[in-house]
Amino acid sequence: MINRVAIVMFFLLAGIMTVKTPAAADERMPREYEVKAAFVYNFTKFVEWPAASFANERAPFNICILGSNPFGKGFDPIRSKTVNNRAVVIRDIDDTGDAGGCQLVFVSSSEQPHMAAVLASLDKRSVLTVADMKNFAQSGGMINFVLAENKVRFNINTRASNRAGLKISSHLLKLAKTVIE
Amino acid sequence: MNIQLINIKKAAPAMACALLLVFAAGKSQAVVEEQTNLTELSIENLMELRVQTVSGASKFEQKVGEAPSSVSIITADDIRKYGYRTLADILKGQRSFNVTYDRDYARVGMRGFNLPGDYNSRILILLDGHRANDNILNQAFVGTDFVLDVDLISKIEIIRGPSSSIYGTSAFFAVINIITKNAKELKRVEASGEAESYGTYKGRLSLGNNFKNGPELLFSGSYRDSKGQQSLYYKEFDTPSSNNGIAQNCDYDRNYNLFSKVSYDHFTLEGTLSSRTKGVPTAYYGSIFNDSRNQNVDERGYLDLKYENKLGENAQIMARFYYDHYKLDSSVPHDYPPVTINKFIARGEWWGGELQAATTFYKNKLIGGIEYEANIKQNQNVHDIDPYFGYLDDKRTSSRWALYAQDEIAVTSNLILNAGIRYDRYSDVGGSVNPRFALIYNPLETMTLKALYGTAFRVPNVFERYFSDGNLTTKTNHDLKPEHIRTYELVLEQKLVENLRLSASGFHNEIKDQIAMETDPADGLLVYRNRGAFTANGIELELENTWKNDLKARISYSYQEVTNDNTHEWVPNSPKHQLKFNLTIPVLQDRIFAGLEEQYTSTRKTLAGNRAGDFFITNLTLFSQKLVPGLELSGNVYNLFDKKYGDPGFKEFVQDVIEQDGRTFRIKLTYRF
Repeated sequence: MINRVAIVMFFLLAGIMTVKTPAAADERMPREYEVKAAFVYNFTKFVEWPAASFANERAPFNICILGSNPFGKGFDPIRSKTVNNRAVVIRDIDDTGDAGGCQLVFVSSSEQPHMAAVLASLDKRSVLTVADMKNFAQSGGMINFVLAENKVRFNINTRASNRAGLKISSHLLKLAKTVIE
Repeated sequence: MNIQLINIKKAAPAMACALLLVFAAGKSQAVVEEQTNLTELSIENLMELRVQTVSGASKFEQKVGEAPSSVSIITADDIRKYGYRTLADILKGQRSFNVTYDRDYARVGMRGFNLPGDYNSRILILLDGHRANDNILNQAFVGTDFVLDVDLISKIEIIRGPSSSIYGTSAFFAVINIITKNAKELKRVEASGEAESYGTYKGRLSLGNNFKNGPELLFSGSYRDSKGQQSLYYKEFDTPSSNNGIAQNCDYDRNYNLFSKVSYDHFTLEGTLSSRTKGVPTAYYGSIFNDSRNQNVDERGYLDLKYENKLGENAQIMARFYYDHYKLDSSVPHDYPPVTINKFIARGEWWGGELQAATTFYKNKLIGGIEYEANIKQNQNVHDIDPYFGYLDDKRTSSRWALYAQDEIAVTSNLILNAGIRYDRYSDVGGSVNPRFALIYNPLETMTLKALYGTAFRVPNVFERYFSDGNLTTKTNHDLKPEHIRTYELVLEQKLVENLRLSASGFHNEIKDQIAMETDPADGLLVYRNRGAFTANGIELELENTWKNDLKARISYSYQEVTNDNTHEWVPNSPKHQLKFNLTIPVLQDRIFAGLEEQYTSTRKTLAGNRAGDFFITNLTLFSQKLVPGLELSGNVYNLFDKKYGDPGFKEFVQDVIEQDGRTFRIKLTYRF
């Protein structure tokens, strides 16, 4: 009999805890992130970076993951790819201070508490910012992933990308779930 | 359409061809699944991608095509679009499943095997990896008595064939691996209400949340109350003394279930508690007809703590610890005379632990594990209430442990060998060794061939071993051994054009030492013995296509012949032909969908040697979402054409055939805050 009481107690506690908490970040699903990594790679085909954002003709294209990396091995197949004839380099960075040379920064949801500071420090640096956290695009991020019916969708903030001097093709904008102008 | 008029054996190939054409004719768009390199895909293709993986067949995630079994997947989307109310509804729509209902419990048959009176102990149901089967009858519930509200299911993997090599007892015909939704899928608060025919109302409230760098929480509770059919007519009881065969208010069905999941870091703690009270209108076991006190109350709950972590780059470990509870409280009114209620009370309590490790190294995926379970209560009590008389008060404890290992070896780039073996040791019935071998060959990118061999076992449950009514009619048999199955299966999975997929399989099953009740000629008492032996042969064909805009169709045909080796006769409750058809049509963009189900079951033999006629059932669902933000509304008609049909009854029934529900309706409203 005591055991049943324990089960009921467990439910009550779990229930109370659930009600009182705010909604937040994404959870980790390896397969989901393999798909998202493929998306990130695809985005590079639809965005034009100013020539000045590369050190020279032969500088690689840097995809940087800021914060705890949720992709697992998702980016492995991309390491052998090229973007506009530039080799792709995948880098994990802990701080926006290390974002020098990054053309694309994926902001991990571990950075959510200081999302505003991250975006502010990347502002006007010709860096495409991508994430999958709540209100990222509304807060000045450029591309934010959302899930709908187990499919990956994304929102785009063109105001932010224009300010950074990046051109996002109309084709990509058409595919976006919502576009913030 | 009356299928009896045509010879279905001859018609089947023609139908298959016709359907093939219909499917092939539909213009489909490239929705790419199982594509090895996602980076090669265009962004449009990526957007169409719905990721599906199977974890149950081998205990690690793998593609459906690489699973060492024939696998079907059902998603939360299917559950909504086809208006599924229970696991039984879901399984009815799957190829080669035959689910029967005796207005008490739903019983699952697979590949033609569903002997009347058998419990659901030859399938294993896993809930996030936790065994849902109990420790008294070893059965898993699939009706309103199931521990989980089906609305909380994210995905179901149906793994056909024996899987004892990895899961032990009861993974005999199939494993139903259920993965529950996580907090994110539920979005913060979800409320759902439904009303159904026969005075049925159901409500559900679910809360989901996840903290940033903190725990993920999910809590859900459901309550359902059904009056059931107010008056049920049974011609077998049509006498003035038994209300002219009309059972009034005896079909009620009330249940609740609670589910909770807390995930933090590498830990997941899951808890369920459910209880169902079902009126039994059939007056089985010679009980009083039209007496609403005849009922079964099943209560099931568990707590399960799981730890999962990576060990370096290529290895994972999983540890699990659980506590389970089951109670059955059955009331059967008898007029001996005097009138009294006979009670059967079963209580089960058990705990256990499991440790599993998986690693990948040079073309190998190796997985191994160890399990221990202690049954601290396996009690059965039979008594009359007033005047009190005790027939049985049996208290048992037992334990089991098991060791298993499985290796998946990529022999060449297109050939996989999957081999597994498991040893189970029971404190009361001894040991069992079960292997499984699968060769998975991809001669072409679009084609997969699988050759499967495996054995499985089911231990005798305590009911079969220790139930007796004090040797009035039934005696115990402490020498019962596990029953066994040996299966051979060939599977072809072929991508035909674009998204059209064909799967075909042929199987041969041999069941030995099957536990069946018989009368001992020496004393005339009923007793369970390892006397049954059966052979089953069959084929399954399935076509599935997905078009643009979520238009989806699936059709399957299965033929199976199950023979009792002792009598050389066709077994009862075994349809030879089954046809299943599922169609989802987007009526208005992604907002309104129609879900159509057609299920054909051919004639079955009853216990009395009569026939339960064949039938076509049609279910239709209109489902809408996004018309109002957060709101989902659906209307369902089950058995649309009001087909009269029945399922074979079992030995304890006077009725040879138990009539099933006619046309019923449901409306359901779900709102996400």
